[in-house]
Amino acid sequence: MKKYQKLIIKVLFIVAVLVLWELYAVHRDIMAVPRLGVILKTLYEDMFISDVRPILQYLGKSLLLIAEGLGIGMALAFAFSGLSVASEIFNTVYNLIVSICDLLPAVALMPILMITIGATDTTIIVLVVHSVVWPMSRSIIDGFKSVPKMHVESGRNIGLSRTGLIFGIYIPSSFSSIISGVRVGWARAWRGLISAEMIFGVASSAGIGTYINNARTLWLSFPSVYAALILIILVGVIVEYGIFANIEKHTVRKWGMVR
Amino acid sequence: MNKEILKIENLTKTYHSQNVSATILKNINLTIEKGEFVCILGPSGCGKSTLIRCVAGFEDFEGKITACGKEVKKPGTDRMMVFQDFNQLYPWKTVEKNIQYPLKVQGMKDKKMLKEISDDALRKVDLDGKQKNYPHELSGGMKQRVAIAKALALKSDIILMDEPFAALDAMTRNKLQAELHLIHEQSGVTVIFITHNIQEALVLGTRVLVMDKKGNIIIDEQNRIPKPVTPASEGYGETWNRLHDALGQ
Ligand SMILES: Nc1ncnc2c1ncn2[C@@H]1O[C@H](COP(=O)(O)OP(=O)(O)O)[C@@H](O)[C@H]1O
Ligand SMILES: [Mg+2]
Repeated sequence: MKKYQKLIIKVLFIVAVLVLWELYAVHRDIMAVPRLGVILKTLYEDMFISDVRPILQYLGKSLLLIAEGLGIGMALAFAFSGLSVASEIFNTVYNLIVSICDLLPAVALMPILMITIGATDTTIIVLVVHSVVWPMSRSIIDGFKSVPKMHVESGRNIGLSRTGLIFGIYIPSSFSSIISGVRVGWARAWRGLISAEMIFGVASSAGIGTYINNARTLWLSFPSVYAALILIILVGVIVEYGIFANIEKHTVRKWGMVR
Repeated sequence: MNKEILKIENLTKTYHSQNVSATILKNINLTIEKGEFVCILGPSGCGKSTLIRCVAGFEDFEGKITACGKEVKKPGTDRMMVFQDFNQLYPWKTVEKNIQYPLKVQGMKDKKMLKEISDDALRKVDLDGKQKNYPHELSGGMKQRVAIAKALALKSDIILMDEPFAALDAMTRNKLQAELHLIHEQSGVTVIFITHNIQEALVLGTRVLVMDKKGNIIIDEQNRIPKPVTPASEGYGETWNRLHDALGQ
């Protein structure tokens, strides 16, 4: 099938779903299925007008925390992975830690974080860091291990030091693994953060998950729930196609390093 | 006048893996003079790569190797290695950056100078115009040329080449041999070149070494066939047969 044909099919499908939705909404008139116009109007109001439900503030808060957590998580992953490559003992222990911790969904840690740290931003950041650091460590270590021996040797040949080798050879050579690690980390962190905010209603950290919860329980504005879902999808699309795809295009794709 | 640039004394190399040890090279002695083009022939697995890797400083060994007056303890830019594998260039750097990077690591900062040097090196290997290409956009032969250009740009005293043309098709190989011969004539750089191809050794080498299966050097002689060497050159057939017999036993 040609590319534009696929596009047409996709567009037709979405239009069909929306039409059915609208018909159903008009016909049944229930709270869980608001009319499309109402959802869009609510989205617009919550984005630009409402002081009670400032959705962009909630979203901004979530994104800020996730950015912080991603930053810390990535830094830790690099540090630990670097040590793993340098020391056999550390590597053995760290592999064990990664294997175990990687199995724990971040949300499952929330009860513990709530009583030790409390319902604060820090709890959310810890959650994000947890979501990022293990899958990313895995990717970095895998990436570092599959750096061709020849590249390391030619790096030593031209006089690179140990740190020079890490930054000059190991990191660029395993860039595609590193990106896929960040991808997995981001996806987990983003889902984990929304779940945690909704389930535990971390009050001081009023993120997009809190917004959804408030919409249902506090503001009794069901269209707002859909407004939030639309923004969440939008953020996902922007991160995937706006950020990751672009980073890949300007790095590993340009270098002919995608497998 | 002492023109000696590389001296290998009592080189012994043993690989230790888990519970077995294999001594590949035993008491090798070899002296190479500045400007020589030494071709090393030998059956597969006899230790040619091991020998050149010891010189490059990639391996631990017993004995003593002195390059450019200094004892070899680790790799250095005075001994640049050109590998057989086409993927030796850094895929994340353009052709010119691949050439400039070692110079930067060595402390050269002047952008104009870096550009001049890389352009010049690329001209020498007939790749002018490929500066901005990434390695994956080049053919195997072009990649090997860039690897050679990298060593030239660094003004490496000794270029170590481990079967650099072995994976190329015959036509490209002949072309690269001719180029490398010219580069050697013009620059006077010292080259140690490993091959299992007798023709290649005779075309390129000013001196030819043959190793036997056990890693001993059994032939070490000057290549007296006048350059450029073709199969029609005087003495070619006789030499070829002699080397072939030595390799075969
Ligand atoms: N890293 C290594 N560990 C153990 N044995 C090795 C290693 N590298 C090479 N060898 C062995 O040393 C011998 C010589 O190898 P090599 O120097 O690569 O031969 P050549 O280049 O002449 O074909 C071979 O038997 C090979 O199996
Ligand atoms: Mg070999």
